[in-house]
Amino acid sequence: MISVNSVSKQFGSVRALDSVSLELRAGEVHGLVGENGAGKSTLMKILSGLEQPTTGDLRVKGTVTRLHGVLDALQRGIVMIHQELNLVDELSVANNIFLGREPTRFGIVERARCESEARRLLDRIGHKLDPARRVRTLSIADKQMVEIAKALSYDASVLIMDEPTATLTQHESDALLELIDQLRKAGVTIVFISHILPQVLRISDRITVLRDGKFVTTLDSEQVRNTSERELATLMVGRSMAEHFPPGKAHRDSIAFSVEGISVPARVENVSFDVHEGEIFGLAGLIGAGRTETAEAIVGLRRRSAGTIKLDGAPVRITGPIDATQLGIAYLPEDRKDAGLTLNMSVIDNTTMVSLPRYSRILLDRGAQRRATQEHAIRLRLRAGALEDPVKTLSGGNQQKVLLAKWLEIAPKVLIVDEPTRGVDIGAKEEIYHLLQELAGQGMACVMISSEMNELIGMCHRIGVMRAGRLVTILDGQSATEEQIIHAAGLETATA
Amino acid sequence: MKRIENWPVWWVPAAALAALITFTIVYELATKGESILMRPENLLNILRQVSFVGIIAMGMTLVITLGGIDLSVGSLVAFLGGIGILVMNSLLAGKTAEWVAVAAAFAVILIAGTAAGVINGLLVSKGKLAPFIATLGGLAAYRSIAMALVAGGEYRSQSTELFATLGAGGIPIPGTNMAPRAPVPVPLLFPWPVLIFAAIAVVAWIVLNRTKLGHYIIAIGSNERSAIYSAVKVDRVKVLTYSILGLCTGIAALLVASRLSSVSSSSSGTLYELDVIAAVVIGGTRMRGGSGTIVGTVIGVLMLGVIQNMLNLLQVSVYLQGLVKGLVIIGAVLLQRSEKA
Repeated sequence: MISVNSVSKQFGSVRALDSVSLELRAGEVHGLVGENGAGKSTLMKILSGLEQPTTGDLRVKGTVTRLHGVLDALQRGIVMIHQELNLVDELSVANNIFLGREPTRFGIVERARCESEARRLLDRIGHKLDPARRVRTLSIADKQMVEIAKALSYDASVLIMDEPTATLTQHESDALLELIDQLRKAGVTIVFISHILPQVLRISDRITVLRDGKFVTTLDSEQVRNTSERELATLMVGRSMAEHFPPGKAHRDSIAFSVEGISVPARVENVSFDVHEGEIFGLAGLIGAGRTETAEAIVGLRRRSAGTIKLDGAPVRITGPIDATQLGIAYLPEDRKDAGLTLNMSVIDNTTMVSLPRYSRILLDRGAQRRATQEHAIRLRLRAGALEDPVKTLSGGNQQKVLLAKWLEIAPKVLIVDEPTRGVDIGAKEEIYHLLQELAGQGMACVMISSEMNELIGMCHRIGVMRAGRLVTILDGQSATEEQIIHAAGLETATA
Repeated sequence: MKRIENWPVWWVPAAALAALITFTIVYELATKGESILMRPENLLNILRQVSFVGIIAMGMTLVITLGGIDLSVGSLVAFLGGIGILVMNSLLAGKTAEWVAVAAAFAVILIAGTAAGVINGLLVSKGKLAPFIATLGGLAAYRSIAMALVAGGEYRSQSTELFATLGAGGIPIPGTNMAPRAPVPVPLLFPWPVLIFAAIAVVAWIVLNRTKLGHYIIAIGSNERSAIYSAVKVDRVKVLTYSILGLCTGIAALLVASRLSSVSSSSSGTLYELDVIAAVVIGGTRMRGGSGTIVGTVIGVLMLGVIQNMLNLLQVSVYLQGLVKGLVIIGAVLLQRSEKA
């Protein structure tokens, strides 16, 4: 059907894909797994025409093909459904399905025909939905179905689904997996990208594992049947993980920072926890469980409807990052590129962004800015061409280090890190782990939000698990297991 | 490896400068060097002409780098000049000493200009209005008030000479004589507006490149969300930046009013916003913000001035001059777009 042969993709100095091959057969469900940063998205972007490979080729039905953009891929029947769905909220279901290809007569959109064809497509996937409804009013599962109907309207022969079940309930996921099975029987090739390994094992005919941008293996159907979840996870990670986490020290007895009953309407409900001096407190949970929202509420990026924040036992007033920064609470957002850093500014400018007033006496003392940045660069083992280079030229791991340096500049008492290792290569990950342990060892109170459970287990003294906006339990980091976290987070296993 | 573009699109002002020099050479050849274009008095005249727009363009460079825009500057020039003259005339009518009246007029213009900038800044930051819309309101409103106060007519200065000194006068250049046959030598004047423009350009360059405020302006223009997360006082920076532009507009208004000792409520400052934004864009400052260049804007200002002067000397209809400007702007933006390729 489609294959890529030793494809590589270079982004600046980062090799996102290193000579990866993948073959998709007609009518199969092909699971694609790997850790964050393993290269799954890049590979799929190449398959769906969003990116061109730096080297290597792409074959469609045996002939070497160059996909010129998404439209070209669509015309060849290759459709990608992104994790963050691409629908226009204000348009109807029917209009979304036929966006850009509305049936018209004399240049006027034929609404009735549009809707009846949309209904036929929705019927085909066995989903009852009024085609005239605005997409905005739909649940995520319904939106997912609209995306699939849209894909089918393109006569998709290859459907790439990126984490389609990440934000669905168990029941909705089951329905989706069933639909995938149906589509397979109808001859559609499906690439199923997911972190939820039980689902991958259940639905896939074959599974390809990527790690650090490299091809690890493709399991055939026989192997898929005989592979356990744990074995698959080991293939993804490449080794048993725990040994690579630096040993942490016991935290002190005094409470540095407490959150009492904070709520954000519809997002966070009555969340309370304490963090001791020198403690790393983890926050686990699914996407949408309210972890990031909790952090944002703490530093005032989101309005709290209730709750108190205490620093060393005394309540503090925080209405925004300006207050939080003055109190010594640093928040490193998960969205490094858009919220954490200013990509087109230099390493120096980014590092000294928060602490800039310190270098300003009418004019900026650029020498002092540079020296301070240099010190951080050495301490964090930053690998950058020059400190004057824009941070967009740096790899994910080095960008994360700049983000850390930027906040260490204000010597925070409380450090809240959100997905600090997402999109970061393994080497830099370990350096970040070491740094966090070192900071905690110096008495800093850390809150670590992560979707990688082994990371939380390896790093944290205690792990709070969130589910649907609530903090459902706090586990001891020493004894917690992935199963416990998964169970508390509400992610049922496939056998449920 | 491809050079990662970080600084303003430097080749836009470079191209503008090259075009400027080419135009001049072609023009000189075409007129066999007999044109007055390169005569010192004409060059000083061009400089004086452009300095009004140029001063506003310094503030506008900061605002556009911030990711904003201000369309109200042209109307504001008429409004500020007008009220300045009104204040001065009423003080003169009350037998106030002339220098006091003139100083009061200057103060009113500068303060009101800064206040107008603060209003724009507040509308954009606290009011969360799109800068284009917020300042479009000012474009209509300030012109309207200026015209309403004198029923569409003119504001005429009652000051004898003092008020006109700053806009029309200058520093005598030693060793020059404009009137060889006159009994006393009449030296060529280096115009005050040009000196003020130069001084403001230096200050603006320092602000943008060497101060905290300048870094915040670039940061907000590059990525406002990231600036908010970095505890930058975004609203304050916006108000400050727009008020700097307001102050620049005030200085320009003062010089415009002083130059002719009068302000026309209907035509003074008309389309200044176009010239100012054109100069900034030609200079290579990015319209979407995040990167700006004062030097580029100065080149843009000069380029517009020289083109206009050539067109005048060639006796091209004033009605067609807008066409040329329009083409130059589009050309500059096309050059900027090519940066993405």
